[in-house]
Amino acid sequence: MHDVGYVAAGYAVTMAALVGYRWRLAVRTRRARRYVSTVSGRR
Amino acid sequence: MRYLYRALTVVGGHRAQRVMGGATLAGLAATVVIGLLVVPPDAAQGDVQRLMYVHVPAAWVAFLSFGVVFLASIAYLKTGRVQWDRVAAASAEIGVLFCTLTIVLGSLWGRPVWGTWWTWDPRLTTTAVLLLIYVGYLSLRKVADSPARRARWSAVLGVIGFVDVPIVHMSVVWWRSLHQQATVLRPGAPTIAGSMLATLLLAFVAFSLAYGYLMAVRMRLGRLEDRTDQPVSLMSTPRARRPVASTHNA
Repeated sequence: MHDVGYVAAGYAVTMAALVGYRWRLAVRTRRARRYVSTVSGRR
Repeated sequence: MRYLYRALTVVGGHRAQRVMGGATLAGLAATVVIGLLVVPPDAAQGDVQRLMYVHVPAAWVAFLSFGVVFLASIAYLKTGRVQWDRVAAASAEIGVLFCTLTIVLGSLWGRPVWGTWWTWDPRLTTTAVLLLIYVGYLSLRKVADSPARRARWSAVLGVIGFVDVPIVHMSVVWWRSLHQQATVLRPGAPTIAGSMLATLLLAFVAFSLAYGYLMAVRMRLGRLEDRTDQPVSLMSTPRARRPVASTHNA
């Protein structure tokens, strides 16, 4: 039963890392897109 | 090399990216359900062995990422094309994520099985060194003062740093290690039960899809970042040349 905690933590960490990184990429892409549109003066 | 870049460009399309994202999600969901609920527990380790279905594929993707960094770095040094630098940077970032995951998951597996979170075992130590090399690679990219120099320096490190990948893989053979020997990527047949091997292969596919998907998204960001670099370099060149031209005319 104790081992199940390690397994659950492992799977949770994996999914959180993947989702977190994808979210972070979305934030960075949005920011870069905004910067490009500001510098170039168009969308 | 050209085919690798073309494949990444195709995957980088909006529609292909969405399809790949969906396939990644389905693959990961299947891995979680089968790995946790369907496949039987290990006879010796019990349920904690289920961590294998995320730990081993994470290590595989880390190796794959650093392999792509290696190839893209060689391609950059050979051709000087900025696209290869972009591929290497994207892959290194994803590789660091998966390498960190590998260490964290290994630690979670090691605690109940070995009785410790961490030990200076050859496999663990060489993996930690691998992580440090590529964290250094990403740091180097931040400190270099010009895009060309950044690309050249990081390409050199991308080639040298890959030397640690075969060392990590062979560490359990070359030195006495607490870590188990290779069960799939080894000479001869895999030493693992059929249902476990099938689940592990499914996880390999799901994690590889995740790598491809994240690469496509990260490459898109890389292209945008290069566009933000571009106006600065384009503006500085004519300004530097103008006084020379005017002196000549005078």
